[in-house]
Amino acid sequence: MAASSSSSAFLSLRDENEQQQQIPPPSAPPPTNKRRRNQAGNPNPDAEVIALSPKTLMATNRFVCEVCNKGFQREQNLQLHRRGHNLPWKLRQKSTKEVKRKVYLCPEPSCVHHDPSRALGDLTGIKKHYSRKHGEKKYKCEKCSKKYAVNSDWKAHSKTCGTREYRCDCGTLFSRRDSFITHRAFCDALAQESARNLNPPSIGSHLLGLSQQDKMNQGALSSHDILRLGRPSPRYETLVSPGGFSPSPRPSFVHPNHDHDHQNQPSHNSMFPNKSSLQGLMHLPQLHMNNTSPTSSTGLFNLSFFPGNTNNNATSTMEGGLHHSTAGEDSTLFSSGNLMSIAIPSLYSTSHGMQSPSGGAQMSATALLQKAAQMGSNTSNNGGASSSLLKSFGKSPDHHSFGDGSIYNGGGNHMQELMNSIAAAGVGPGAASMFEQAEYRGFHGGNSNGLSSLEQAGRLTRDFLGVGEIVRSVREQQQSGMDHLGKQTQPFGEGSFH
Amino acid sequence: MFQEDGSSSVTSSPLQNFPMTSLSPAPTAPHPWLKELKPEERGLYLIHLLLNCSSLVAAGNLESANIALDQISGLASPQGDTMQRIAAYFSEALADRILRSWPGVYKAFNSTRVPAAAAEEIATRRMFFELLPFMKVASVISNQAIVEAMEGEKVVHLIDLNAAEPVQWRALIQDLSARPEGPPHLRITAVHHRREVLDQMAHALSDTAENLDIPFQFNPILIDMKVEKLDFEKLRVKTGEALAVISVMHLHTHLACEDDPRGGRSSSNDSGSSSSPLSSPQSPGVESFLNAIWGLSPKIMVVTEHESDHNGRHLMERLSESLHFYAALFDCMESTLPRASLERQRMEKMVLGEEIKNIIACEGTERRERHEKLEKWSQRLEGAGFAGVPLSYYAMLQAKRLLQGYKCDGYKIRDENGSVVICWQDRPIYSVSAWRFRR
Repeated sequence: MAASSSSSAFLSLRDENEQQQQIPPPSAPPPTNKRRRNQAGNPNPDAEVIALSPKTLMATNRFVCEVCNKGFQREQNLQLHRRGHNLPWKLRQKSTKEVKRKVYLCPEPSCVHHDPSRALGDLTGIKKHYSRKHGEKKYKCEKCSKKYAVNSDWKAHSKTCGTREYRCDCGTLFSRRDSFITHRAFCDALAQESARNLNPPSIGSHLLGLSQQDKMNQGALSSHDILRLGRPSPRYETLVSPGGFSPSPRPSFVHPNHDHDHQNQPSHNSMFPNKSSLQGLMHLPQLHMNNTSPTSSTGLFNLSFFPGNTNNNATSTMEGGLHHSTAGEDSTLFSSGNLMSIAIPSLYSTSHGMQSPSGGAQMSATALLQKAAQMGSNTSNNGGASSSLLKSFGKSPDHHSFGDGSIYNGGGNHMQELMNSIAAAGVGPGAASMFEQAEYRGFHGGNSNGLSSLEQAGRLTRDFLGVGEIVRSVREQQQSGMDHLGKQTQPFGEGSFH
Repeated sequence: MFQEDGSSSVTSSPLQNFPMTSLSPAPTAPHPWLKELKPEERGLYLIHLLLNCSSLVAAGNLESANIALDQISGLASPQGDTMQRIAAYFSEALADRILRSWPGVYKAFNSTRVPAAAAEEIATRRMFFELLPFMKVASVISNQAIVEAMEGEKVVHLIDLNAAEPVQWRALIQDLSARPEGPPHLRITAVHHRREVLDQMAHALSDTAENLDIPFQFNPILIDMKVEKLDFEKLRVKTGEALAVISVMHLHTHLACEDDPRGGRSSSNDSGSSSSPLSSPQSPGVESFLNAIWGLSPKIMVVTEHESDHNGRHLMERLSESLHFYAALFDCMESTLPRASLERQRMEKMVLGEEIKNIIACEGTERRERHEKLEKWSQRLEGAGFAGVPLSYYAMLQAKRLLQGYKCDGYKIRDENGSVVICWQDRPIYSVSAWRFRR
């Protein structure tokens, strides 16, 4: 814009007749002569330097009448006004002395045009400069909300705004090419990202799959669904697929009727009366657990965590117990538990396309929790209340399932029993006895809290005992004298859970 | 734990050879087979133990809870894998809870404890802010919402109710100075209970504003943790200025109220508060707080909260929800920092561990970490006279860009009715929502 050229200096370097009148006396011929324009901000050294304060500079009424001090925006208006004062004629005329070149300074100290050697020659120019650079932007373009301090700038922009547009796929409009390109770079990335399915598989889902199968077998899906915690995990199916999985409950799998004090388990191996069944189990998950294959199959079955991994020992026991405990309902799950030394490994490694657990050798805590929830749901099949703890665990908290206080009521929760047994085993002889007592008590039906489930699960418990016995025997081998595989149900059940 | 040998009254007699003495380890390691557990098994076992233990604690059966805690402590460790760490902190919280039922013991136990140096805690929180993207994403989104709301405003007053990180405001100052109409006159009022934090913030922000040549004023307000009552007069909100209120993990502390020992609802369920459709306990504290803020007519209020319900009446509800929630956070830590990292341990202990302890061990007014889900907050805020402001596409864009910068791809961000929820894998962690004064 023309206005922008504060450089419109009529200052010329002509050094024709210098008049030594004022400070730097420029003597420029009348304006009609040709003038060479100086570079903006490089004024004629002879020009008179004028420094106005911001207020004066921006003052709208620059022309002030000497007589009455009224301000006018234009000089002609001032002259008209002065006529009204009946001034003597000659005063009405402007002074005829030579017009000096005037250059103006920007009042802003930090501005480069504050220095006389870079003064600007045009008053209008300096005003516009000052507004633009140091002023407040009061004019706004409606289309793009770009703001301007100088009216003419604003008008000029409005003419061209919106005339050329770029549109991105996502619908955003740009008037500038560079911003459009920048946006598009990121926008594409976003589009790609959303297109990808970023739901990493977790073992949990696999496990869930297993349990799922159980559910399917038994139709006890409700808690399972809840337990799912909203994870889609279609992967379940992969796990479920191993048809072998549901080796159907093998009731006799574990020594069904061991006495509680059964203590003569010479070797765990012999614990499984029906080895065949075991083998059946082994079929199920022919996933060989390769040592650290984390896929967590361990979690699958409630008690997979039984220290069973390492062949012998508890695993086998667990297994037996597991199988049975679920009274064959969701036994598949349990059975899959394959705590069996052999089977276990297979279980652990998920053959069917199980995806590796998140975290390599380690399952993520989230996946573990889901597994646990699943396990809980499975155990619940049995007589109700027992696995309510775990079941509730998986459910949404609003469920308030805890309120009924039945969490620890029934010993029927296999999980619990197993847990108990583990705990019992771990705690020591004394504790074990305590637990055992509890269990017995439960068995003998003294429990006030829904022991019925326990009774009902008596068989199961018994099986557990079988398991327990195995455990016991194992332990006996390890620490002679411990033969309690207690279930903690009793003590737990006692508390009023509310 | 506090019982003498065998004098447990919980179960009847036969039990009691359970005394501590009988826990003496067997000739071999106490729980040999436990040592052989694989990590997943151990993890599952820990989960079960935690559940058992907490239900025991909730039931008041402390001896058995003690057994369970003993088991847990044999397996858990703050330097172990995720589940071990989670179990460590949760079991500590449960133990803290148990200890509180003996107030004398509890006080004596804590009487000589030297609180962690303020500088260390501040540094740890800063690490949490820097290393994990959650807070950064939230701050980016809230800054964008503020800038958009303040478009055209000449005077902006920002009130930060839980001022901790100057980084966020520095970014905001830069954003504001870069806007086409130039920066506004900015006033920031920061509320915090630590003087050091406020001083740091004052310096950092004043420097930034000076460098950018923005008219800026900083107003620190120090509040006492105990009193916790914010004097709105001190905020000195002037008429004619555009007010932005920011609450980062702060609003839930106002839900702390006197409720029954077992977490029962506070008495006046029908105390004439208008927002009764909520199923959560009436909490006069938060309502009056929100009303006071509404009285200031803020142009925008950005609320960042934990997206999980840790305010259940019963311990078990809270335990179950928080187990899932913090499991996700611990998993996130595991993916971000190595196990041996001291910073990670500090963060887990000082930030996450403290929250867990508060959720599990405390009740009543002491339980300040009362997280609730966004839908409940929405109800409360709408009931208090606020209307939701949908977060803009550009805000989401910036957030996603930021997340792309983090190598880990477990972070997700999604839009939920105009608010943003930041997730780890599928688990929502934090939510950011914006509100404005209505009516």
